[in-house]
Amino acid sequence: MSQQPLYVYAATAISPQHSFRAAELMQPLVHFAEGKLHAQDASYSDYISPVAIRRMSRIMKMTISAAMECLSQAGVKAPDAIITGTGSGGVLDMEQVVKDLRRFDEGSLNPTAFIQSTYNSPNGWIAMQTHATCYNQTFVHRGCSFELALLDAQGLLAESRRGLRLLVGCYDELSDEYTLIRGRRGYWKVNPPDSLALLQHADTAGTIAGEGVNFFVFGSEPEQALACVAAIRLLHHADAASVADAVREILSGAGLAPSDLGLIMLGLNGDVRQSHLYNDLLTAWPQSIPVVSFKPLCGEYETASGFGLWLGIQVLNGWTIPQELQVRGVVPTDLGGSNVLVVNHFIQGEVSILLLRGKAESCR
Amino acid sequence: MPYRSERIVITATGVISSLGAGRDEHVQKLRLAQPELRYPLILQTNHAHDFLLGEVAATNAELAARLPFLDKQARITRTALLSLCAFQDLLAQIDLNFLRSFGGRLSLVNASTVGGMSEVENIYHELIDLNYEGADTEWIELLDCAESTEQLATSFQLKPAMATISTACSSSANAILVAARRLRTGMADIAIAGGGDALSRFTLNGFHSLKNMDPAACRPFDGQRNGLNLGEGAAYLVLEREQDALRRGARIEAVLSGWCNANDAYHPTAPSPDGAGALRTMQSALNHAGLTASDIGYINAHGTATINNDAAEGKAINTLWGGRPPKFSSTKAFTGHTLAAAGALEALFSIWAMQEGFAPANLNWSVPMEECPVQPVLQTEPLQARHVMSNSFGFGGNNVSLVFSRA
Repeated sequence: MSQQPLYVYAATAISPQHSFRAAELMQPLVHFAEGKLHAQDASYSDYISPVAIRRMSRIMKMTISAAMECLSQAGVKAPDAIITGTGSGGVLDMEQVVKDLRRFDEGSLNPTAFIQSTYNSPNGWIAMQTHATCYNQTFVHRGCSFELALLDAQGLLAESRRGLRLLVGCYDELSDEYTLIRGRRGYWKVNPPDSLALLQHADTAGTIAGEGVNFFVFGSEPEQALACVAAIRLLHHADAASVADAVREILSGAGLAPSDLGLIMLGLNGDVRQSHLYNDLLTAWPQSIPVVSFKPLCGEYETASGFGLWLGIQVLNGWTIPQELQVRGVVPTDLGGSNVLVVNHFIQGEVSILLLRGKAESCR
Repeated sequence: MPYRSERIVITATGVISSLGAGRDEHVQKLRLAQPELRYPLILQTNHAHDFLLGEVAATNAELAARLPFLDKQARITRTALLSLCAFQDLLAQIDLNFLRSFGGRLSLVNASTVGGMSEVENIYHELIDLNYEGADTEWIELLDCAESTEQLATSFQLKPAMATISTACSSSANAILVAARRLRTGMADIAIAGGGDALSRFTLNGFHSLKNMDPAACRPFDGQRNGLNLGEGAAYLVLEREQDALRRGARIEAVLSGWCNANDAYHPTAPSPDGAGALRTMQSALNHAGLTASDIGYINAHGTATINNDAAEGKAINTLWGGRPPKFSSTKAFTGHTLAAAGALEALFSIWAMQEGFAPANLNWSVPMEECPVQPVLQTEPLQARHVMSNSFGFGGNNVSLVFSRA
């Protein structure tokens, strides 16, 4: 069955890199030594009123700013839907509430932290700020939260009249306690390498932690599109074989051969225990297709695939991939109009495959 | 991706709340106007004598005993236990092997607001303290909203396409409409939608900090209303395309004839005071169903009994029905506000009201609201309705109205 294409008219990223309104996109690359990739703060006050911003958590500021900038780049005042995915939502606020319950013995509690810990808080705020009384949805399902938002956007476009502009995004923040507890669960490398050298340390267990926010404006017409998400596939509890099958299905469904791919972007995160998920892509596929990983730039978190999609769109629009991301092959400098496969996994077993097409009209 | 405006029908239901387990206990208590609110015996809180809650009268061990297939050693949250109990109730009406046969063509769209918070809040200090060497860090994975979704799939050996939604108090109403859209676009061939939440100190104190909690039984749409009672529970519905259900000879409980998700775009926690958001949502759901206001025989209102919600919702109902609303009631005083379970739970109450021919009472009402003097159903009333509406309005202005019709 053919999928509803998502034509992309704008895409924004607040990430550990200089990805947001940068004079020169991601120049220089930012590297982190401690295994925690914190996002670069944006000029939040450009997007949020001084009164509102005072008590607002950082993840709320990041989310609202990335969303407003995305709408502005697409020339959209109020979107026709707001759909997001998040793995942990306002986790810092949630931690605050849990600790305050104990510290004050269920005494006084800060209502702001409680409200901001509600997963759909950023959505509500974006709606308020854009006067968007439209459809508004938030998915919270581990490492496929963003993909669920994409699938919902497909369904919404399929059922709706043409001309809609959907604001779709993802957000996750890094907290010290989240990293500490996940560290005790073996998520992270014990001796984290420099983040940009992550792929040279893929022979040990663990990865590095990251965070970020991405927003996209999608619609169903190819005109003015930066790229097109032609197909989406989501696997729960995936193994190498199911990933291999799904990738083949997605390509044949789009009438493409492996050689039609200009680039494969993987979510390889340096954890030796998880890299087998990409085995088929790395071994059985034509070696002429260049392969890169986007995780050295953003680190690992539940909605990192949002950064992967954003980066894929940048690549299709002229951004040159640095050698730090290379897994195999020489990346051509001009991938405009090409096809890019973005394959990501999260530690808990979710895998997603996105087929991006640079010649937007070829999605039809 | 083809979109076909086929009728979506409900073919099985499962439920647990403070009213009990399964349809019969719920219908009986709703009909006899017997609420189940109490000072909590299971939730460990300093406020145990401060607030009446809709607590499910079974400990975790007692809930687990109803689920003999559970691994006794497995870590499991109360939220997941409630969800599993409701799901098991649903399986009395639909064959599990039939559901399994769909593989990934079955969509499981679940909802939760705080996942396994009811357990994690007890041990969080151990998880972040490296001196607690024996801290059982696996619990942190269960804090996630998706935990009960994954637990449902694993426990019942299903391999569905899973999704978890978290939009505060409208979460499981959203799960229902997302599932319906997945059926219409062919992304799924059968779907199970609903949600579950367990009481936790986190939500109790959170709502308390918003000064939103009535220490006594809540009084929806009453002039003296003073806030909500929290509750817990889980509810699930099986959704199918009508042609598929008819082909397999399924008993059709109701038709999901229309729905709308719309946003207030007004305030982080309060609704627009004139009820504009609620009005827009209800009107759009009617349009989606191809119905007019006069077709609706009963509304199960969101009716949390907070000052803001009930004034706004009352005004919206009054406006949409031109000052002559149909029978309407909030059933929150029966069960408490079950948060992520509420949308699905009250969808079931609406369907049963239509099937059983009675409108449940809006308990504890005595004087009209100053802002909008609408009068809900005061005691159980006979009902002849072809169409009913269920409202769920949440934080973040996240509003959902669902319209159900007779099969």
